[in-house]
Amino acid sequence: MEQPLLEVQELSKHFGGLVALDHVNFDVMSGEILGLIGPNGAGKTVCFNLISGVYKPTSGKILFNGQRTDGAAPHQIAKEGIGRTFQIVKPFASLSVLENVLVAQGISRYDSFPRMWSAWKSKSETTEGLRILERVGLADIADRKAGLLPLGNLRRLEIARALIIGSKLLLLDESFSGLRHEEVTRLEDLIRSIRKDGIAVLLIEHNMRVAMGLSERLVVLDHGGKIAEGSPDEIQQNEKVIEAYLGRKETEDAA
Amino acid sequence: MSTYIITIGTFIVIQAIAACGLNVIIGYAGQVSLGHAAFVGIGAYSTALLATKAGLSFWAALPCVISISALIGMLLGLPSLRLREDFLAITTIGINFIIEAIFNYIPFFGGALGIGGIPKIILFGIKLKGLAFFFLCLFFLIIVLLVCWWFTRSWAGLACFAMREEESAASSMGISPVRFKLLAFVVGTCMAGLSGALYAHYITFISASDFSFPFSILLLCMIVIGGMGTLWGPLLGALILGALPEIFRPLEDYRILFYTIMLLLMIRFQPGGLLGENMVIRRMLAKVFPGV
Repeated sequence: MEQPLLEVQELSKHFGGLVALDHVNFDVMSGEILGLIGPNGAGKTVCFNLISGVYKPTSGKILFNGQRTDGAAPHQIAKEGIGRTFQIVKPFASLSVLENVLVAQGISRYDSFPRMWSAWKSKSETTEGLRILERVGLADIADRKAGLLPLGNLRRLEIARALIIGSKLLLLDESFSGLRHEEVTRLEDLIRSIRKDGIAVLLIEHNMRVAMGLSERLVVLDHGGKIAEGSPDEIQQNEKVIEAYLGRKETEDAA
Repeated sequence: MSTYIITIGTFIVIQAIAACGLNVIIGYAGQVSLGHAAFVGIGAYSTALLATKAGLSFWAALPCVISISALIGMLLGLPSLRLREDFLAITTIGINFIIEAIFNYIPFFGGALGIGGIPKIILFGIKLKGLAFFFLCLFFLIIVLLVCWWFTRSWAGLACFAMREEESAASSMGISPVRFKLLAFVVGTCMAGLSGALYAHYITFISASDFSFPFSILLLCMIVIGGMGTLWGPLLGALILGALPEIFRPLEDYRILFYTIMLLLMIRFQPGGLLGENMVIRRMLAKVFPGV
């Protein structure tokens, strides 16, 4: 069998007495879109923060390309080729849109003392940055201050930054929330095109239509544990999911 | 009169060097340090000791002084920079008091008497005094400004800006917060050390109270008023806070009141500093010459 790109094995995270994630297992294959869904507080963002190194797992393993990454710091994991966005957007507010992207483009320089001293405002870097912004549809506002942008643009800016970092895997944390309908469609197209480039996408999504439409497989979390895994069709039929996530059968019938 | 102006000018330049260093730490990297005077003191005391006890000239001592400042900056920065915002501010205040106390109470550092008899700087066999010393300080200020300018243009600078804005997002882009905080801190403390070395040789007598907490606050006021994170802000701030008290000498009793009013006005109307974003000067010019 093909080696998975990302392997999450028996992953647990406790915050004091609170079990946020309890022995969760799943794999992300290279080039696939895997949806991570579950009700509020199910442990999805905790899972992201573990994969991206913000938290250290209480127990369990995370392997990326067969290498252990659990316990590594976020900046080291970024260097491995995992890019991420944040549920609450985190732009570099006082920098311009282009500069936000340039920060990500410098990734290979930040741990080389000689290389970090060259100038970042160069023609080739700017062209490269604009090309990425073009792709996410922000090129025309490249000089705007990031802090002044509306949410939809900020979400795309985060994806642009993550795209530069995430040469192999993108973690998208509710990138669709707060977007207007046409923005949702554009973003769906963007994510499909990212997948075509061979980049795997792990996405947390609350919008069921989007999650079902985009993902090839879904993993469902509830109260820190994995309750189901499978294709969108299987998940929609799964009794446990319906009960935990979509509400109980009666309410669904009533609706 | 002219000596008087040169003296004031020299102090302004020396303080501007220290303020530039603080600007790298606070303005570029976003790490609020309220103990910058301690590092000026470390530079001044190491120069003074190397000159009076080891008999080293300013030029021979300078590399050592810069290295000592960098080393101590790194040693103190490593644990403190793990703290965030207000905790870091409080810790650096503590560092300021502890270092001042060490200078004040340990006989090796001259105790309460301080260190006197620091020789004047000699360049090409000439003792630098007055205008010549002023130009030497100006020369170092230009170097410091060039370093700052280079810093803002470099990837290291961009990493610091990103970290200042959003630490967690920056670290998700390969930026190690500890490394870049420490880098900015060390660059800043080196500049403080240089400023202290020049100060010691200029005034030829130093004591612990020269580097007390109020001096740290004065340096902070300089960069706040001039424009935090800008290149010229610290210089403008040093100029204003160095020159105004002299111009308004008759109002000396009200100096602190005046500083307070100025700071409050700045925070209300120009939070980015005079040279900061949306600067008042540019807005006024735009009113006079609309459409330019």
